[in-house]
Amino acid sequence: MESKAKDTELTERLKLIESMVAEGRQSSESWGWTFVLWGIAYYIATAWAMWGHSNLAWPVTMITAGVVSSVIASRMTRGQPETMLGRAIGAVWASMGISLFIVLISLGITERYDTHVFMAIIGMMLGTANATSAIILKWKMQFACAVVWLGSAVASCFGTENQAWIAFLAATFFCQIVFGVYAMIRESQRRRSGVVHA
Amino acid sequence: MPEMPELNPVIHGKLRLALLSLLSGVDEAEFTWLREKTGSTDGNLGAQLMKLEEAGYVAMKKRFVLRKPQTLYRMTEKGRAALTEYISALKELLGSAI
Repeated sequence: MESKAKDTELTERLKLIESMVAEGRQSSESWGWTFVLWGIAYYIATAWAMWGHSNLAWPVTMITAGVVSSVIASRMTRGQPETMLGRAIGAVWASMGISLFIVLISLGITERYDTHVFMAIIGMMLGTANATSAIILKWKMQFACAVVWLGSAVASCFGTENQAWIAFLAATFFCQIVFGVYAMIRESQRRRSGVVHA
Repeated sequence: MPEMPELNPVIHGKLRLALLSLLSGVDEAEFTWLREKTGSTDGNLGAQLMKLEEAGYVAMKKRFVLRKPQTLYRMTEKGRAALTEYISALKELLGSAI
């Protein structure tokens, strides 16, 4: 009888360890909104470049989106501890964003801008970042986004300029807006699932 | 009869075990975050963290962010080793029960 009670107590301790480790790791995984924000930024930049015929459309929109993301992220993560997983994912996206910005700005300044190359670079970089995150997080849905982005990169190499834009806008819709909203719903469900207090 | 392992009494306390488990998954954590996750009171949490600190299992540092004081805790290598050892002992004691 006493042995059974002790076993129950020890099993409870083991469950407590598992739930607390999981709780700690989950703390900073709330990034669905960034996908939606950047998706909207891509649409604004595209519309501005197309109808406003401005060379500043992409750099200005991307810098603004970068600043807005940083401000919101710093407010949201205030008081939240950093995890190894969060840092790894953050590093992937930050280095992708910086690389993409430098290459595209350089192409713009040297006037070697070409829609096909522009779309292929964006699709390839976003595909790589999504694939890396998906592999780290073991998240099939994000891996599907990586495939869509890489598909849009390939399509922009083979298709006409209009087809390249359609592929880019479609990939933005599915992989930024739809996926972002889906990620936000998942995060909210996880938060609602509650905390196991000690 | 084989000798059964003993459970580390510093870690065995429910709140101290929860704190070490939480800290094992993060780089460092604020006092307020630990309080929120464990649902503990300030006094009890502070006392248990002090016990862990005295045992060398956690390290504490204070800093100011936007003029507000922050108390941060992180798990030490000694704490990580102790928690690993505790889990092994726990599994050994439970044996076929898990």
